[in-house]
Amino acid sequence: MIAYNREWLDALRISDTAYSWHKNGLLTADELEALEVQKPVPFYSPNLFIRIGLGIFCLILMYAAMGLFALTGMLDSEAGLTAFGIFWAVVWIILLELWIIRSLRHYGSGLDDMMLYVATTTLIGGLYASFPSWAGPLTYCWVALPFLVAGSIRYLDRLMVAAAFGCSLLILLLTIYEIPKLALYLLPFSGMAFTAAVWWGSRWAQKRLAWRHWHGLFVILELLCLPAFYASGNYWVVQQAGLSWFNLPQPPISWFFWSFTFGVPVLYILMGLRLRDRLLLDTSIFTVAAAVFTFRFYHHVLPLAWACTIIGAFVFVAAYFFISYLRKNPGAFTYESSAEADLLQEIEEQLIEQLIVAPSAPKPEAPKETFGGGDFGGGGAGGEY
Amino acid sequence: MLEHWLEQAALSPEAAEKIRRFESQKPFSLHWELKTLLYLGVLLLNAGLGYLIYDNIDHIGHMAIIAFIGVISAACFWYAFKHRKPFSTGPIVSATPYFDYVLLLGCLMFLVMEGYLQYQYQLFGERYGLATFIPMVLFMVLAYVFDHRGVLSLGITALASWVGITLTPQDLLTKNDFNSHTITNTGIAFGALLCTVTFVSERLDIKKHFSLTYLNFGVHIGMVSCLAGMIALDLSLIYFPMLCLAVGFFLWYARTRASFYFLTVAVLYGYVGITYLIFSTANGYDIEFYLFYFLFSCIGVILFLTNYKRFIKKVAP
Repeated sequence: MIAYNREWLDALRISDTAYSWHKNGLLTADELEALEVQKPVPFYSPNLFIRIGLGIFCLILMYAAMGLFALTGMLDSEAGLTAFGIFWAVVWIILLELWIIRSLRHYGSGLDDMMLYVATTTLIGGLYASFPSWAGPLTYCWVALPFLVAGSIRYLDRLMVAAAFGCSLLILLLTIYEIPKLALYLLPFSGMAFTAAVWWGSRWAQKRLAWRHWHGLFVILELLCLPAFYASGNYWVVQQAGLSWFNLPQPPISWFFWSFTFGVPVLYILMGLRLRDRLLLDTSIFTVAAAVFTFRFYHHVLPLAWACTIIGAFVFVAAYFFISYLRKNPGAFTYESSAEADLLQEIEEQLIEQLIVAPSAPKPEAPKETFGGGDFGGGGAGGEY
Repeated sequence: MLEHWLEQAALSPEAAEKIRRFESQKPFSLHWELKTLLYLGVLLLNAGLGYLIYDNIDHIGHMAIIAFIGVISAACFWYAFKHRKPFSTGPIVSATPYFDYVLLLGCLMFLVMEGYLQYQYQLFGERYGLATFIPMVLFMVLAYVFDHRGVLSLGITALASWVGITLTPQDLLTKNDFNSHTITNTGIAFGALLCTVTFVSERLDIKKHFSLTYLNFGVHIGMVSCLAGMIALDLSLIYFPMLCLAVGFFLWYARTRASFYFLTVAVLYGYVGITYLIFSTANGYDIEFYLFYFLFSCIGVILFLTNYKRFIKKVAP
């Protein structure tokens, strides 16, 4: 079902996990090295920047190849366009499967990502070319969805799963939209129900051992559900949609949508703290901002400049007090940075060659047995720029 | 799930036990969330106050505004001085979590104050060079004293505008007729200057960790200027060799310092330059020629990039 070698995927996950343990001082450099030898990862997965570069050049290459082929004059009819799209999608998929993945062992190298995207888009685009003129957006979505789902399952691709999520949400909303009379009432609630269900489902699926290879995809789904859920009931979204689709200046039960607008950010914060869920907490920052914008859109209580100043000062002071509180009261929450959450540090590490087990490897820190307080050096990446 | 990975990793029982205890007890870090809030606060405060002044430029007393912003800025700098750590040529760990953000706020407020003074009183008159020179010196000094890469970026930006304004003849600026030659050459010289600064400071062992900030500005300003010379001024004969020099330099840098970022950036700029050169000299061919060019050149670049491990030296000097 998965195009990539499952054993290597497991080994990759173990080596990543072991590296984070090592950074937290739980594994010595020797233990880490032993693990790398014992569980080799033969994938070709270059650094992030190389991946971007390879992706860009692969895209140009594929379009040049297709352009040369198109010069033969195949594209003069709709059927020709469809045949062209299907033909090239098959070519790219065969190359991707047999050459890039199987013999060159690429995984997340930029080449495999880009080949998948180009194959999917040419295929779907080719199919669209011969659609009859009565086909509406709903038909387009239904045709694209199976390919997006299949692509994300077989190639573990996060962008594909995001596209599949958007596509299915669109299908749902477009279907509800067709229902006479009730559409206006059903639309927000169906969006909420769908995103909530997907959220629960992906949280549950992340815990399943058998589905561990798709873990990253479920995280993406979980993340996408949070803003989508909020948008489903946000007053501004509902009001604007009602105005443009149903010519309603004010949506019904507006008290409900107003309380949703302000209640959900609070709910996100509380749930995020309770479940210790970073996605919920991080989304809550954006939803709070969205709630403020929504309110300001309808009620001009303060000039923008004053609002900015006051909110800015409030945010700064609040963060200041939270930080000093957390530093004085170590407990379940901490201000010290943890190795796993350090996105910026991760990007910085991508800038240079990793020298994990080389002679100049970072010195492992003494194992930390006590938590909270003190500087958490983390023994991060070594090397210079 | 944890148990599965522990089993797969086949660790010693003690190590596994240590990891189990760590995973069950580790506190939840709010580090980046709170830092983001601090940053957001600084930005909002700055934008709000800047806009407030712009809005009420005729209503509130001028002196009151200047005094208010000056007090905030001074308070920030005072905080930074009070909490500063002894100067070191290496990286300095911030004394408090808010240190970096307070310093940044102080610098941004200083800019707002200066802009206001210039707008209202024409403090610097037509001497725009001086207006950019003062924040440049201030930010550079602060960046080195307090070891702040954000302020360093502000300083480099101020330096760039100072260099640009000083080297461009005044009458051209006022006539709003930008002389592309001057600006292009200034950009190339400035990019080279930034790269030189990096090497001098690495040799002297002063703030080696600022290298990335300098080089990042240097690579983009320098290369974009070279490309501008080729494309906008149509002087490929002069600027293409310069671009090649710059690409060669950054490839060498990437090779010796094991930097993927500069490898990819240099390859991208180089490719754009070569492609432009070929397309501008070889016009009039069939479209097949260009498509074949893209086909084969991309294969070449991909082969080069996929073998990056052989290109980059394993042990950094």
